Amino acid sequence: MRITLSMRERKNPYIPVEAEKIVPSILMKGTDVTVYEGNKERRLADLFEITVEGEAASVDEVEVVLRGDTSRVKRVGEYMDGGRITVEGDIGMHCGNFMAAGTIEVRGNAAGWFARELRGGTVICRGNAGHYCASGYRGEKKGMRGGKVEVFGDAGDFAAEHLSGGEVVIHGDCGDMAGVEMRGGTLTIHGDCARPCGNMTAGTCTVLGTVLGMIPTFERTGEIVGPDGGTLTAFVGDIANRGKGKLFIRNFQYLE
Amino acid sequence: MIYTDMVCPFCGCLCDDVVIETEGDRVVRVDNACTLGTHKLMTTRKDRLKGPIMRDGAGGWRDASYEEAIEYAAGVLLDADRPLLYGWSSTQGEAQGLGVSMAELLGGVIDSTTSVCHGPSILAIQEVGHPGCTLGQVKNRADVIVYWGCNPTEAHPRHMSRYTTYADGFFLQNSFRERKLIVVDIRKTETASIADEFVQIKPGGDYAVFSALRAIVRGRGAVVPPTVAGVTKEQLEKIAEICKSAKFGAFFFGVGLTMAPGRYKNVRNAIELVDELNRHTKWTLTPLRGHYNVYGSNEVFTWMTGYPYAVDFSRQIAFYNPGETTSVDILARKECDACLIVASDPGAHFPRKCLEHLASIPTVLIDPAQTVTTPLCRCQIPTAVTGIDASGTAYRMDGVPIHMKAFLDLGYPTDTEIVGRIFEKVKEVRHP
Repeated sequence: MRITLSMRERKNPYIPVEAEKIVPSILMKGTDVTVYEGNKERRLADLFEITVEGEAASVDEVEVVLRGDTSRVKRVGEYMDGGRITVEGDIGMHCGNFMAAGTIEVRGNAAGWFARELRGGTVICRGNAGHYCASGYRGEKKGMRGGKVEVFGDAGDFAAEHLSGGEVVIHGDCGDMAGVEMRGGTLTIHGDCARPCGNMTAGTCTVLGTVLGMIPTFERTGEIVGPDGGTLTAFVGDIANRGKGKLFIRNFQYLE
Repeated sequence: MIYTDMVCPFCGCLCDDVVIETEGDRVVRVDNACTLGTHKLMTTRKDRLKGPIMRDGAGGWRDASYEEAIEYAAGVLLDADRPLLYGWSSTQGEAQGLGVSMAELLGGVIDSTTSVCHGPSILAIQEVGHPGCTLGQVKNRADVIVYWGCNPTEAHPRHMSRYTTYADGFFLQNSFRERKLIVVDIRKTETASIADEFVQIKPGGDYAVFSALRAIVRGRGAVVPPTVAGVTKEQLEKIAEICKSAKFGAFFFGVGLTMAPGRYKNVRNAIELVDELNRHTKWTLTPLRGHYNVYGSNEVFTWMTGYPYAVDFSRQIAFYNPGETTSVDILARKECDACLIVASDPGAHFPRKCLEHLASIPTVLIDPAQTVTTPLCRCQIPTAVTGIDASGTAYRMDGVPIHMKAFLDLGYPTDTEIVGRIFEKVKEVRHP
């Protein structure tokens, strides 16, 4: 089953749309669902032109395709438990919140809190991801717990904050404080970043580029060979937090 | 007429020993207040609007009645898909409570100036808690004071004379000599010039310095490099020793910390340093709040919604996510289509992009005087000033509620009355 949602032209395209019902398991049962545009409850069909092709026996046979300007559509794929969502353009905040299974692919850019508190499944962004990619929610002690997040562009600040499990791969650069408060899982940054893994207690972070403003409370333990064959400096920390996380870095610079 | 024990409606210190002398409806003398408070009290009639004003359709202004302005405000809020209700830090708690109720009924977003000052402090507190105390405890007990990323001499001028360096307390008979003062900042401020120890750090280096201090305090200083963000390891070790030797330490910080790179993670690291020090002695931490009742807005919002600021009622249930539901972010992304500003001046503080959007949507300002925000609005409704010609409740920076007394009657309605009347109009439509 393939469900295509093409965004209609809106009177005010800046008003956010909250659409947590855009998940395969709900739409396979019918598309007569409601979403919120600002404080107004709207039928999905009022905002999207909907096309349904074929049938599905299980959620894993369902693909939802989003077209048009979906950069203000939030919470797509929230609590997703199977199937596939393909976003042909950009996607709004909180895409893939709490997702447990299935695949989300965003071909454009993803706004903040992309794959927040992911529990399983695969979430891919071909463009750039905003702040708090694969992170936790405010006040949470555990962020992403499982699954895989892969961003082919850059990620903003606080990527993988509170990471507790699963795998996060950023092919580009990260902003400030990636992996801060990390307590498990693996984070790989192919580009550069600033001040990664402050306060981490466990987990593994690998930075194949350069770290600026290196946190001064990581203890250097030696060198290892990185996944690309180059040498990486190995650290353990964050000592300030009695942490035993592993941090591998190609180049680094302290704020002296 | 002389009024004693009046409360100053300027900053979060809420000094409650101010003496004000009036002649008729003019303030002629103010005693005990600082320069900032004195100026606010002495110039209370300056730039005040005589009555509501509205746009005349030709780029100018025309006078309006309170009824017409209130009707207009209610209309734009009711028509909006995502109204924003911003400000609330320089008004009475009673108006703040009505604002929350109205935001809920409208399905709007309500936010206070917290989101551009100590919002990160609250985010950090939500992560690791708040080892706080009242300012009275600090005054009577603290023998080591830290001011980090703040300059109370100029921003909270009586903080040091009422509660810290110059205030003798029950256990400190000669405060100036018995209290140690540590100031941490990126430049040598007026406050730094009287410090026993001034730590000058490089901009953006707060987080690293906190981490280094935490490691040193717990005996892992060997890991720390010789210099951290411009501060030598020797000085860090000296600071750590002073802090560990304190009988009672009080840590104060300002927006120099909350708005530096890392934001709430800086504050979290500060709290965790205080936690670490509490393994050795007694330490507390207090944010130096700016607007006199910004703490009150956090209290009132939290009682009523569970969240301290940036509360989004679009779905009729409270949702909170600073960075998404905070005013600057909403305005910069053009996500609101009407705005009510109460007792605040975003025109003077917000980024240009936000102000451009404010000017493009129907914006109503409730404020006693003409401000930088006035030209961005379509309607302004003047009200009485709490602590001058209106009484009400405000919260001091340490969370102590204080009754603000009025001493003048200039004939203006209070913020509570105006917000209440708008709310009544909203209820007529939403709950007929």
